[in-house]
This record gives sequence, C-alpha cells and structure tokens, in this order.
Amino acid sequence: MKHRALSFVTAVVMLSLTVGPSDASVRESGSTTLTVFAASSLAETFTILGREFQAKHPGVRVQFSFLASPTLATQMRAGAPADVFASASIADMKTVEALVPSAVLFASNRVVLATPRVNRFHINKIVDLNKRGVKWIQCAHLVPCGVAADSALASDGRITSKPVSLEPKVSSVVAKLVSGEVDAAIIYHTDYLANKGVLKEVRFKPTEGATTHYPIGVLKSSTQQKLATGFVDVVLSAYGRKVLAEAGFGRAK
Amino acid sequence: MIRKKLDAFTLSLATLGGLVLVLPLLALFTKVPWGTLVSRLTNVNAMAAIRLSLWSSLLATLLCIILGVPLAWVLARGNPRIVNLVRPLVLAPIVLPPTVAGMSLLALLGRNGLVGRYIYNATGWSMPFTASAVVFTGVFVGMPFLALVAESTFRHLPSDQQDAAEIDRATPFTMFRLIALPQSRNGIATGALLAWARALGEFGATMMFAGSLPGLTQTWPMQVYFDTDQDMSSAYALSAVMALVAVAVVFSLRKQLRRAFVN
Repeated sequence: MKHRALSFVTAVVMLSLTVGPSDASVRESGSTTLTVFAASSLAETFTILGREFQAKHPGVRVQFSFLASPTLATQMRAGAPADVFASASIADMKTVEALVPSAVLFASNRVVLATPRVNRFHINKIVDLNKRGVKWIQCAHLVPCGVAADSALASDGRITSKPVSLEPKVSSVVAKLVSGEVDAAIIYHTDYLANKGVLKEVRFKPTEGATTHYPIGVLKSSTQQKLATGFVDVVLSAYGRKVLAEAGFGRAK
Repeated sequence: MIRKKLDAFTLSLATLGGLVLVLPLLALFTKVPWGTLVSRLTNVNAMAAIRLSLWSSLLATLLCIILGVPLAWVLARGNPRIVNLVRPLVLAPIVLPPTVAGMSLLALLGRNGLVGRYIYNATGWSMPFTASAVVFTGVFVGMPFLALVAESTFRHLPSDQQDAAEIDRATPFTMFRLIALPQSRNGIATGALLAWARALGEFGATMMFAGSLPGLTQTWPMQVYFDTDQDMSSAYALSAVMALVAVAVVFSLRKQLRRAFVN
C-alpha cells in the first residue's frame, strides 16, 4: 500500500513539474478546419467574424487560438499549424515576417485606465494610481498591451506606484479587474467597452505609443491559402470593419 | 533471484516507452547554452525568480509538515468511516488541473471570495498578488503528497512499541510525539520532499492566484514561461536546472522506489 502510493505520487509529481499553459487549440477531425491565431484582445470580434466566415463557407470550421501575440508568434516559429495570424502589434508580426510575408493592418486600439464602477479608492484620474493601497495591474512589458501601457505611463510621467502584477495577456488583466481582485488596470478601450456595465474608464492623453496597430496575414505554410485569404477578406470587409468599429477598435493606420 | 529472459517484442515496446519519457529531458539539455549558463542564471530577473521560488516553496513545505503530519496521523488513526470520506477530499488537489486549483483559491481568498471578502472588508488586505499567495498555493498543491505518504507510513509502523506505551498508559499525544513521529521520520521526509518539488514546480495556479510580478510573485517556472517569448536560451537554462532538481528528487527517492517495485 505504502509503496503503491509512493510510486503513484512520484508519477504525479513528475507530471506536475512539467505542466504548462494551454496549448494551441486542438484541431477537430471531420470537416475542414481553418486555424486562426489571434491576439487575445480580438477574442470577441473574431468569434463573431468566424461565424460570418462559416456561414459563407459551409463545412468549414474556424478554430481560434486567442493568446498574447508574442506567445502565438513563438508557437508559429516553433511550427504551430496556423493558417492565419492576427497580431496586436506590428513588432510581433515582424518576428514572423518569414512565415507571414504579406500582412496588412486592419485595426488599431488604445490603452485606457479602467476601474470597477464601485471602488473604494475613487479613482477618477490617472494620478489616482499613486494613492496608497491601490492595487493595479497591467500586461507584461513584452506583450502589445504592456508595451502600450508602458508608453502611456511614461508619457504621462506622474505615476510613481508599481503594478502588483504583470499579466501574460490582456484577457487575464480584464478578468482580474472585472472580478474585482484589483482596483484598477490598464486595458484596451475595447475591453472597457465590452465590460461597460461594471467598469469605468479614465483615458490617457492620446499619444502614438499608447496606440497599437493590428496586422493580419496568411501563413506561407498554410495548405488552405484560399480559405485563409477568405477569412482575411471577411476581416477587411465592410462587415468586418463594422464589427470592429462597434467593439471600439480604431481604423487601421 | 533468477533472471528470466525477455522477449524482443516486449523489450522493444518497453524501450520505446522509456525513450518517450527520457528523450525530452535529454533534448532539453542539448539546448542549454552552457557557455552563458551562469550569467543567464545569475541575471537579476532569473535570480529574483529562483530566490522567490526557493524560499516560498521551502516555507510552503514547512507549513505542509506542520499541518500535513497531524492530518496524516488523524487519517491513519481516525474513525475509518469518516476518514474514508475525508481522504479523497484532501487528496483531490493532486489531480486538480492547476487552473482549477487557481480558481478554487481565488474563490476562497479573492476579494470577493468566500472568506477573502471578510478579510478584505475588515482589513483592506487580500491575498492575491502577494508572496503569501505563492506560499499558500504551494501548501495547497503540496500538502496532499505529504499527507498521502505520511499516512501510509503511519499505517505501517510496527505496533510493538505502541502496544508497550499503551500498557504504560501513554497519552495519545505522547504516543504520537514520542513514538510515531520518530519512527516515521523517513516517510515524513519523503512526503516533504515530494511536497516541496510539487510546490516548487507549481505554475498555473500560482499565476492565476498570485499574479506575476518580478521579485514579488514571479516564480521560477513563470520566468521560464515569459522567457520563451523573448529569450529561448534563458528559458532553456532555467528549465534545465529545474529538470535537474526534479531528477535529483526522484534519484534521492530511488531506494523507496525500488522497494516499491521489489515488494
């Protein structure tokens, strides 16, 4: 009994030591599947556009993987089987230039300071982040929402407090803000709009650095060039622009 | 012991199975940038992550021992009907996905959590995004291992000394402290080592519950995760050392493991 327990435990320990974050979404067999890697800030809009695409292409399923753009870029450089990549920054698209040779800009976004509607610290302006005891978070310095947040804070120049966490992707930041674990967070304007009911936003002075631009492109290695191009076309179409604009995305540069 | 011959078919499948388990670890070491290993491990971020992981996992292990050993004793000696119901519950974190573990901890100790909300309303303090959240996560995922191993150690203690002590009217606590504990040293140490390895390696639950801030809550495994997006070589360097720790843990338990197979 003791030893059986021990070998089981050892097996689980070894397993747990190597448990990692979620993989790219698994492909489903059966019908044709188009795999789209997209920045996590595109989750809501691209899900809508995916449905539109599927309506136009019966029998085709769009499989999304929504993660931080640098994470997706790393996965693709390691051979992840994506057909389309939509990045939340030009810089991250550059890192996969060899794989996605012709990307086009399709939207822009800007970071804002957001707080829960009910907040004990009464955060109404950017400098309120300096109030004692305020817990605020942002994205990690490397992911697009973090790059934009750093830039917005730097150009503001008055913030002396530090975030309590640098989250791996913007959706984690939003989740922690909406659930009330923190008093404030730097997120995208689009994330604020999607959670307007529970959040309020404080805008930064508009600067170029606080804005991020979204490129999209088809992977050279995709075996479904036509379908992949079709998806990009939906994003670039009048309908795509409308869905993105309604969600609060800005126009492409 | 007589050695029996093995057939080629079974042997080849077994070899394949062994390779599946061993090759990834070996491959990891081929990617380690040996020339710059030391500088990659001693840079500010890596050192901060390693230091945090070491002290938080050691503290978590200490808490696991303080709470988990009595828990194991009660599981071993308590009313079987109750114990059989409780045991699966306290062992559940072993098979809980890390993300679910993270959600559970938030549900309990987050600002809107079952208990956390009272703490927050009373003191303005909440556990998420603090180093104590890293430690607490370690206790949550590590203690079941210690409890499991310590309980089965307690159950297999020779009964002669305890019988003698009972005749001498030793109190239950004296029995636990002066007889069971010293006799179970090895089992408790084994459990503690496993709990420590588990706490040290925890990633998903920690990131969900404690967040990720360099120097405060960004642990060694988290550093690996973030490095993969910007500095693969550093990620490999940090991974390799962690893999060495894991191998060392299993290696140090090889006697216990061998006994498990021979008996």
